[in-house]
Amino acid sequence: MIDVTFHQRGQRGIDRHHQQGGLDLARRLPSLVVAAKEVASSVMHGVHGRRRAGIGETFWQFRPFIAGETTSRIDWRRSARDERIYVREREWEAAHTIWIWMDRSDSMGFASSLALQSKADRALVLGLAAADLLVRGGERVGLLGLTRPFAARNIVERFAESMLAAERVSGYEPEELPAGLALAARTQAILIGDFLCPPARIVTLINALSAQGARGHLVMIVDPVEETFPFSGHTEFIDVDSGATLRVGQAESFRADYLRRLAAHRDAIAEAARGRGWSLALHHTDRPASEALLGLRARLEGSLHEPFARGVA
Amino acid sequence: MLGLPLAFTVPLALAALASLPLLYFLLRITPPRPRRIPFPPLRLILDLEARDETPAHTPWWLLALRLTIAALIIFAMAGPIWNPLPVGEAADGALLVVLDDGWPAAANWDQRINAAAQRIEAAARRAQPVAVVATSEIGRDIVSNEAGKALERLRAIKPQPYVPDRLAMLAPIEAFVTAHPKAAILWIADGLERGHARDFATKLAGLQAHVTVVYDGRAVEALAGPENLGGGLDVRVLRSMAGTPGAGAIRALDLKGLMIGEAPFSFDAQAMETKASFDLPVELRNDIARLDIVGAQSAGAVSLLDERWKRRRVGVVSGETADTSLPLLAPNYYLVKALGPFADVREARPGTPDPVSALIDEHVAVMILADIGMVSGAARTNLARFVEDGGILVRFAGTRLAGAADDLVPVRLRRGGRVLGGSLSWETPKKLAPFERSSPFYGLRVPDEITVSRQVLAEPDAGLPGKTWAQLADGTPLVTAAPRGKGTIVLFHMTADTTWSNLPLSGLFVDMLRKIVALSGEPARDGGGSLQSSADGKPAKADIVAPSRTLDGFGVLGAPPPTAKPLAGSFEGIGDMEHPPGFYGPPDALVAINALAPRDTIAAADYSGLNLVNEALRSAAPIDLRPWLIAAAFLLFAADALASLWLAGGLSFARRKAVAAGLALAVLAALGAQPTPARAQGVSQRDLAAALTTRLAYVASGDAQVDEASLSGLTSLSRALAARTSLTPGEPVGIDPSRDELAFYPMLYWPIVAGRPQPNAATIAKVAAYMKQGGTIVFDTRDALAQRPGGALTPEARWLRQLLDGVDVPELEPVPADHVVTKTFYLLDGFIGRYTIGQTWIEALPPTPPEDGQRPARSGDGVSPIIITSNDLAAGWASDRSGESLYSLMPGGARQHEIALRGGVNLVMYTLTGNYKADQVHVRDLLERLAH
Repeated sequence: MIDVTFHQRGQRGIDRHHQQGGLDLARRLPSLVVAAKEVASSVMHGVHGRRRAGIGETFWQFRPFIAGETTSRIDWRRSARDERIYVREREWEAAHTIWIWMDRSDSMGFASSLALQSKADRALVLGLAAADLLVRGGERVGLLGLTRPFAARNIVERFAESMLAAERVSGYEPEELPAGLALAARTQAILIGDFLCPPARIVTLINALSAQGARGHLVMIVDPVEETFPFSGHTEFIDVDSGATLRVGQAESFRADYLRRLAAHRDAIAEAARGRGWSLALHHTDRPASEALLGLRARLEGSLHEPFARGVA
Repeated sequence: MLGLPLAFTVPLALAALASLPLLYFLLRITPPRPRRIPFPPLRLILDLEARDETPAHTPWWLLALRLTIAALIIFAMAGPIWNPLPVGEAADGALLVVLDDGWPAAANWDQRINAAAQRIEAAARRAQPVAVVATSEIGRDIVSNEAGKALERLRAIKPQPYVPDRLAMLAPIEAFVTAHPKAAILWIADGLERGHARDFATKLAGLQAHVTVVYDGRAVEALAGPENLGGGLDVRVLRSMAGTPGAGAIRALDLKGLMIGEAPFSFDAQAMETKASFDLPVELRNDIARLDIVGAQSAGAVSLLDERWKRRRVGVVSGETADTSLPLLAPNYYLVKALGPFADVREARPGTPDPVSALIDEHVAVMILADIGMVSGAARTNLARFVEDGGILVRFAGTRLAGAADDLVPVRLRRGGRVLGGSLSWETPKKLAPFERSSPFYGLRVPDEITVSRQVLAEPDAGLPGKTWAQLADGTPLVTAAPRGKGTIVLFHMTADTTWSNLPLSGLFVDMLRKIVALSGEPARDGGGSLQSSADGKPAKADIVAPSRTLDGFGVLGAPPPTAKPLAGSFEGIGDMEHPPGFYGPPDALVAINALAPRDTIAAADYSGLNLVNEALRSAAPIDLRPWLIAAAFLLFAADALASLWLAGGLSFARRKAVAAGLALAVLAALGAQPTPARAQGVSQRDLAAALTTRLAYVASGDAQVDEASLSGLTSLSRALAARTSLTPGEPVGIDPSRDELAFYPMLYWPIVAGRPQPNAATIAKVAAYMKQGGTIVFDTRDALAQRPGGALTPEARWLRQLLDGVDVPELEPVPADHVVTKTFYLLDGFIGRYTIGQTWIEALPPTPPEDGQRPARSGDGVSPIIITSNDLAAGWASDRSGESLYSLMPGGARQHEIALRGGVNLVMYTLTGNYKADQVHVRDLLERLAH
């Protein structure tokens, strides 16, 4: 028989365990290169050359000195080779900003005996690991609705602290979805959660977030029990978010209906995501977290590369 | 019920079983609580209509469990009893228990008492009055009583060593039945016909009562008729029932109860009787005073043997005046020597006026008269009666007999005799002819070297050849014999000494005498029964012998009961109430009375054809199954509760384990509550080991460091003792004086730790007793460094003072230089340990007598019970395997460790040898004194 556990809010939350898990996961992966293919040679990751001279560290070109410029810009070594005076220009480089949001609502506390972790745990590990990877790759990462984007070695701890601080505020209620503020263009969002709220809200959220052109990735965390509905017999189901209950005499008779509804729900969300060019990934908690992180990395790389390739073209 | 030994006290309650199907129906439709499952995606289907709300059925196994519980409770209500008692249910009047208490009942007495007690208890439950009577209680009125009293009476009944006559009980039983209509009679019979069982049963069946006979189906075994025959001691083994082969063993014991031998016996399938034979030397056989069947516990399985079964007594009377200076010339000498190995030779006391009568009074079986010519007067009368009563008279010829013979000879003799091979004779000494077939000596080999040089001659009468047992080579009779009365007179036509023949020197002489003595039967009890012989040879008027030790019903010899009466000397027969089987008379002439006559048989009683309920004696007690059923129902109920919880999802995984553990514990506790057999002995393994090996011991203080030091110190000391002395002590042990037995340890090392709680008063008393009984305790305060002369007491010293407050401590003194403890193995100045400056105190010696001032060692009378030191001895002794001290010594050095060990060796030797060394110092003086 499948066992189901539900972690109350006090049992959940962010703690050292999650931090460590996130760090571990991030360290197991090679340094994540989230870079456009064009600039792959200049930087491993993070700061992306803009194909024009600007503030940066990578050599772009020498150009003749224009009178009126400050002399400090003159590259004396190059100038010494002929009669002209050159100025050394560097390529303009800028880091990406990536917003991460992790669902910490009550429904995420669900874990079955088949799962390795509760959904909330998995979401936190995944989110923190992605943050650590991205920061080590040079990106700036922010916690959607909580922090500004920044790049710090201890990004995991910083995120954890700010989440804890938010939870400590009295009257804190975890939200099922982040606030729908428009993100700046060229930023990306990673939303990790179970997305069990009505698809209409999700569509609204995606539209709001991507109003200025931001891209995003949804990671849908699913417990295997939620996928298979292995219940039978006289059962009383409890909705953890709303507290609603459903008592059924023969739970197995609901299985087909449930699976149909679930598929419809997912389709709706996937449709919403696709419409704005967002990606949607499904992750089961009985699978290792690194699997989801690899997938996320791949999609991040792809989407980071894509707009610039298009933009240059 | 259904062939099972099961009965119900309230069978009506079983009707409730009919309600089980209803219960089944009810239980079936009552569903268990649904599982509650938190399910986040529920909102996806929250709007679905419930299609099938029919709850699931109760699982079948839960149903079965609950039905079982209900059935168990119903069965328990019905009062089931395993092994129910089948008797007495019908009768509601009084219950009379008649208990056979003769010896045949003794073998399974407890079973009989239990059977009776079960019936009485059952009667007590039905509030029946109960009477108990044993068949030996003749002349007692039977009164009914409450069950408790009856049980007490029952327990007081013991089996008797005889079989009482049951018919004597009939009158009181009839009176009882008349007084108590509707009475039930339970006769627990011994199963033997002895004591008129059949008649008794017939009469009982005729009474107006419900009569039940309980008897054991097993055979009763008994011993009868032991006979000390020539070849061995035979005894008849009887049994009451044939049908199966049986086997066993008979034990022969002497008067002191020591086992002499064992003889097996076996019954053929149809035999009621068999024989066991002890093939033992006659000397051993004659010591046998008691035969019993191994494992049988009854007076009937015991045969007592007295003088009558002992080896024959042979009286020897010589005509010659006793000349002790020339023993080899006296015929008695040869006779006593020859008879000694197999017979009990009695000689008349020198100076006895009538030796023949005196010996007859000693119940001799064979009377030997060596060269007595004429026996006259009272002696002749006695002798004649002796022979006629079955005695054997053996006469040897000689010059006196040759001169004048009386009529107590088998043949007529010629006056004089003949001399063969003498200086005036031309004949050579004659040799012996081989023995005739008719002679009792037939089969004995005649050696060639035997010659007869002189003999008396028989008149050649008609019957002479028939009377001749041995003859010379020329046909003249040498030994003649003739029966007279029940006895026999044998005449050797030669002397018992070597003057006429060298036959008395040969082994043949011994064999011939053996044959003759073996002919003798039981000596006559000479009518008047002078069982006691008086010293002066006159028969004492001892017609009555008092009981000495009698058998009880179980066949155990003990003091005679008050009902035992003295025995008339003429008493012949078996034991009865007034004369219980046993030994009578003074210890040197015991008369044995047995429970069975020599020719007795024991037959099983026949109860068939009578209006009696026959029942077998069982040992199984009825068991009330109610508590067991209720306990089982309770356990199942607990299981049901758990199962319900589990079904309802009320058990999380972790809690489920805890509950399972709890349940297992509960079951274990229930099992553990069963009375477990008590430990066979209250001796712990540790005490056993301590008693087997001498070992050093220390008192565990509870302080781990101190205990470790004590243990390693004593271990090192034990090593040193084993290496240097002849003592090899076992592993040292730490003991707790409040718990452990101290008696096994000659010396206790007691390190004082000030912080520990004082032992309780009982422990202190135990310690004091240990010291009083010769134990030595070495108290070590380990505070030599902290002590200041005249300063305050150290905490350890205070602790010790408090401990010894309740102990009788002798006067102490610092160990004097000449104290024996300083000399028991090494010559030492003092006892040091980790420290060297502490003083060692020991029981003060008595003051030296002034004249004894030069003794190098002094000691008291025993070993000092207490030695107090402050030098931390154990830490000084402690060393590793290579002899390196484990603790830093003060001032230190290998020498200090060595001296400390020597001190320890001396202490142990002192406790083990005491003042031995103090005496040992005198050895040189003693040797010197001996040398001069």
